[in-house]
Amino acid sequence: MAMFPITGYCVGDHIPHLVAVDTEDTMDQVAAKVAHHSVGKKVPMPAGGPVYDVFIGEQKIAADVTLGSLGIEPMEWVDVRPREAG
Amino acid sequence: MLLNRDDWYETSRDLDWTLSYVDPAEAFPTSWSGTDGVPAEAWQKWEEPFRVSYRDYVRIQHEKEAGVKAVSSALGRAGLFEKLDPAHVAASQLHMGGTCMVEHMAVTMQSRFCRFAPTPKWRNLGVFGMLDETRHAQLDMRFGHELLKADPRFDWTLKAFHTNEWGIVAVKALFDDIMLNADCVEAALATSLTVEHGFTNVQFVALASDAMAAGDINWSNLLSSIQTDEARHAQQGFPTLEVLMEHDPARAQTALDVAFWRSTRLFQTLTGPAMDYYTPLEKRKLSFKEFMLEWIVNHHERILEDYGLKKPWYWDEFMRSLETGHHSMHLGMWWFRPTLFWKPNAGVSPDERAWLREKYPTWEADFGGIWDQIIANVQAGDMAATLPETLPVLCAVTNLPLGGACAPHEVMDHKTVYNGRTYRFDSNISKWCFDQDPARYAGHNTVVDRFLLGEIQPMDLGGALAWMGLTPDVMGDDVYSYAWAKEYAQA
Repeated sequence: MAMFPITGYCVGDHIPHLVAVDTEDTMDQVAAKVAHHSVGKKVPMPAGGPVYDVFIGEQKIAADVTLGSLGIEPMEWVDVRPREAG
Repeated sequence: MLLNRDDWYETSRDLDWTLSYVDPAEAFPTSWSGTDGVPAEAWQKWEEPFRVSYRDYVRIQHEKEAGVKAVSSALGRAGLFEKLDPAHVAASQLHMGGTCMVEHMAVTMQSRFCRFAPTPKWRNLGVFGMLDETRHAQLDMRFGHELLKADPRFDWTLKAFHTNEWGIVAVKALFDDIMLNADCVEAALATSLTVEHGFTNVQFVALASDAMAAGDINWSNLLSSIQTDEARHAQQGFPTLEVLMEHDPARAQTALDVAFWRSTRLFQTLTGPAMDYYTPLEKRKLSFKEFMLEWIVNHHERILEDYGLKKPWYWDEFMRSLETGHHSMHLGMWWFRPTLFWKPNAGVSPDERAWLREKYPTWEADFGGIWDQIIANVQAGDMAATLPETLPVLCAVTNLPLGGACAPHEVMDHKTVYNGRTYRFDSNISKWCFDQDPARYAGHNTVVDRFLLGEIQPMDLGGALAWMGLTPDVMGDDVYSYAWAKEYAQA
């Protein structure tokens, strides 16, 4: 369990933010921490509620995967998008 | 019998001597002169059109100084400053903090020309340039000092460059590089030709015009007086380019292309918000984009063509960025307003927004939604939701926020791995700049890098603000206390 900085980009915002997450965080928790700086502030709440998918590059990461298991570098770019229905 | 000027002028500016006790390579090391690959005799062709003697220079500068002082004294007595629109005043504070010490850095650059330029004609002109830049720094400090009694933010005219304020760090990053770190040839291409002959028109002509319209005759007069000097000493760029085109055109192309983009990004930050958001709507002459197209784009295209250079490979991306980059920077600066030493105007009242839509056809689709969310939060009284809780991530070349060069739907990750470290950029073009000369940029830590290294304590936004030198008496907030957002409720 360790603090881990990422470049968190909530799709729809105009810039990514420095976001402090934890290596034990699941992707759902990572998404919530990234969205915190944008959703309801600069980006409207998604129609389906605050449920998101996390992408690293083009790859969607499963919601229950922990950040620490990904082996990514600090400040890796993480995209957060509203989860599509279905 | 006194000689006529024409009898002695050529000799006076071309006075040189043949070194015999010192190796010329040691007296003029290429690391300072920048003459690698250019034979010494090639510089004999270096010519500038301003045939000015020291006597002429002093007389003309004396007249300019007397003019600036007379206007300033008369206006000070009339108390005009107190009548200025506060959003416009913010533009002058941003300008003073952002440029005063750049003028002072330029003294050092010009003094390098005086000492290390490869031709006496250039060294001669450098002397006048050095005196010019000394004058500009002093004019700015005098302006700021006189207004200290009205607003402590003018203290940042001198103070800004002695702080770690993020925007000032970005300004320093560029000018440390192209003024203080660059050899004479590169400085002439990047600073004299690109910044002084090109981009300063946006700051010193466009803003001077807007300032005059806004009733700030004192600042307008100061800007115009400075620009008359820039127009002269900026000429050091053209003959340098001419010589380099004969011997190393590839270097000229790269140096100009890098400088043009880095300058674009900086002026999108310094001038774009001031012109399109801080200048009162009814006083605006041209939009930032219109001014860039008229004064920078056409001008740069002409220079490139005249000297046999190609347009930068990124020209289409640059043109698109004219529609978006400064809007993104403005939005970010307003959002992170506690990190500023001036009070920004959001500039998105219904009338201002209509103007933005007219001038920038994609503005509404690009940025309107984000401002709508902010407006909704202001109207709901949820001010906490309009303020930052963390930092943006910064570009390893420009030191400006990632994503700040484009529209939201164009934001993407641009990165390079160099010596095992990943560097991120605000655009594909800034990444290209880095890739041309990685050693130049690598290892320079951005404000966020410093934060992560633990240099900023406590490690939170409050710690970052204190580290940047922001104190409550100058810390930025919305200049109109959010009145513009309430207009939407009545619409």
